[in-house]
Amino acid sequence: MTVLTPALRRHAVRVLQQHSIWLVLLLLLLVSAVLSDAFLRPAYLMNLVLQQTPVGITAIGVTLVMISGGIDLSVGAIISLTAVMCAILMNGQSENLPHALILTCLAGTLVGAFNGLLIAYNRVSPFILTLGTAIIVYGLTQIYSGGTASGVVSPGFRETLNHRIGGIVPTMVVILLLVAACGILVQRRTRFGRALYLIGTNPAAARLAGLNLPRVTVIVYSLSGLFAALGGIALLARAGVAGTYTGRGSEFDVLAAAVLGGTTFEGGHGGIGGTIGGLLVLGLALNLVNLVGLSFYAQLIVKGAIIVAASTTYEFVRRSSASLEKPATSRREK
Amino acid sequence: MTSAQRLPRFTAAAAQAVGTLATRRELMRLGALARSYGIYLVLIALLLVPSLWLSEYRGARNLGQIVQQSAALAILAIGQTFVIACRMIDLSVGQLMGLIVVASCSLMDGRPEMTVPAILLALAIGLTVGAINGLLNNRLRIHSLILTLGMLSILQGVIFVYTDRSVGAASPAVLRIGNGTVTGVPVAVPLVLVVAALAALLLHRTRFGLYVRVVGANEEGARRAGIDVARVKLPVFILSGVSAAIAGIILAGRLGTGYPNAGTGFELDAIVAVVLGGTPLSGGRGTILGTLAAVLVLGVTANLLNLLGMSAFIQMVVKGAIVIAAVLINQPRELARA
Repeated sequence: MTVLTPALRRHAVRVLQQHSIWLVLLLLLLVSAVLSDAFLRPAYLMNLVLQQTPVGITAIGVTLVMISGGIDLSVGAIISLTAVMCAILMNGQSENLPHALILTCLAGTLVGAFNGLLIAYNRVSPFILTLGTAIIVYGLTQIYSGGTASGVVSPGFRETLNHRIGGIVPTMVVILLLVAACGILVQRRTRFGRALYLIGTNPAAARLAGLNLPRVTVIVYSLSGLFAALGGIALLARAGVAGTYTGRGSEFDVLAAAVLGGTTFEGGHGGIGGTIGGLLVLGLALNLVNLVGLSFYAQLIVKGAIIVAASTTYEFVRRSSASLEKPATSRREK
Repeated sequence: MTSAQRLPRFTAAAAQAVGTLATRRELMRLGALARSYGIYLVLIALLLVPSLWLSEYRGARNLGQIVQQSAALAILAIGQTFVIACRMIDLSVGQLMGLIVVASCSLMDGRPEMTVPAILLALAIGLTVGAINGLLNNRLRIHSLILTLGMLSILQGVIFVYTDRSVGAASPAVLRIGNGTVTGVPVAVPLVLVVAALAALLLHRTRFGLYVRVVGANEEGARRAGIDVARVKLPVFILSGVSAAIAGIILAGRLGTGYPNAGTGFELDAIVAVVLGGTPLSGGRGTILGTLAAVLVLGVTANLLNLLGMSAFIQMVVKGAIVIAAVLINQPRELARA
């Protein structure tokens, strides 16, 4: 490495670290296009994004939580609750639509705020706490819906969200991109966004710097709840009906997308852009498995392998970039 | 520190607090001790109070049934106690248990002569998957949560590629392990007690157990003190895998057939039980007795709510509330240290 100065090399590694998921996506797309020309059709690609929309919207909120060093395992339960709640509130009438959507978002935000308040003022492990919340929310969902799929969506609700603008881009995908753009704006350009990274990197320093840690924590978990509610609504729009366990397991899909995109459990790293990249890589990989003719269940095996392989790669890149940066700043062992 | 050493301090602190004007410091220490023993108090209260007016609840028979129902979770949680004391997490145990239920049941298919091969197969699967987890954890150096999450997905895929409906049947002997009694005592009771006793000895009385806790408390410090961290973590994952194998045999006996979703969600219940019992997610300490008490608290609560005629839905809400209450009571220790 005589050509590159250390500064340039550091820069190159950092760029690689931040954008490697898009390289992976490109590579996967090329492989898919060789295997089947379906992947060259815009409608098919949009379908792929459409499938991932509920998980994607939810993952945006969870990414923010993870940047701050937390974790939210209750989103799967919130998706289940809000999907069935929205359907029941709509009750097949189009005039119910506005208040159904508002109340549903409110419910998700409230669950998130509940998580945030308990975590902010007690500093309990978010892992176990949000797990407990998830169990409660599943119970409440069952009580509310009577334990079966219920409710009827308003006429026009599904049609609007699944409508393809110009015959190609579904409304829901546009919404996903808008929500992601808002999230990226918050993460990059606001005090709140910078506070998240600082808290995730070093909570003690954040407190000493005068940040209101409890307030940021409550807001970020509330946002996670809100985004999960939007995810629930998106899921309802895709499926048309909602059982009581619709969202079960999607907390793991969300985690996988975020970790693939470079957001770590330790906090302070990654971002929403990476999560969207991770989401698309997961979606594409699972579609490929399907295309090769393996069963849905084989997809689970591939998903697991991808999760492990991707985090191993990130860890490797992080370590090598850390060792490159060592002479300048000594990194704290985590 | 063992509970035997802690007990005199507990009584001394209690006497001081009651007898003299307790200082704030002593009160805090008393609070910490109450937190350490809280789960036992909750268990005793849960066992005694309702039996005053619920006659079905009283008696060894109901208690035996509760233990029988909780046996698989108890064994799984005992394995997880080692993992969490070492400041890791193993999310793959639930699906591993499911795989073992399916594999052993389809091998046995109700034939008595296949009991021993099926148990050996179960142990082999548990050992292998545990060793794979451990080796990958040491080699890849990624967070154990993510690694075992990947393994969870892989194992679930393996189960469902093999079968998407119930297959095979448990042999009579395995059915007896799950549901049978010996002179009135459910077979599961001595089984759980023996496993728990061995695990407690291993965790509290051996060098390996000490190393597990030291690595959990401060991995870098342990490494600098000359402990081969990788050689501590590998057996921890193997223990977790083997505990899933034993739990899987018990569950196969209880279900009687190889149900592919048998283990789904068990990993989270096991983690909840370990943390409820007083082993912190931040590692460094572990208590087998506490884990056992927590499993019983969960089992007794479910039993109680059943007897009171509560729906399964309300039971879920109560269970979630218990988890949150427990984590709120248990965690502030970390706060005092920070």
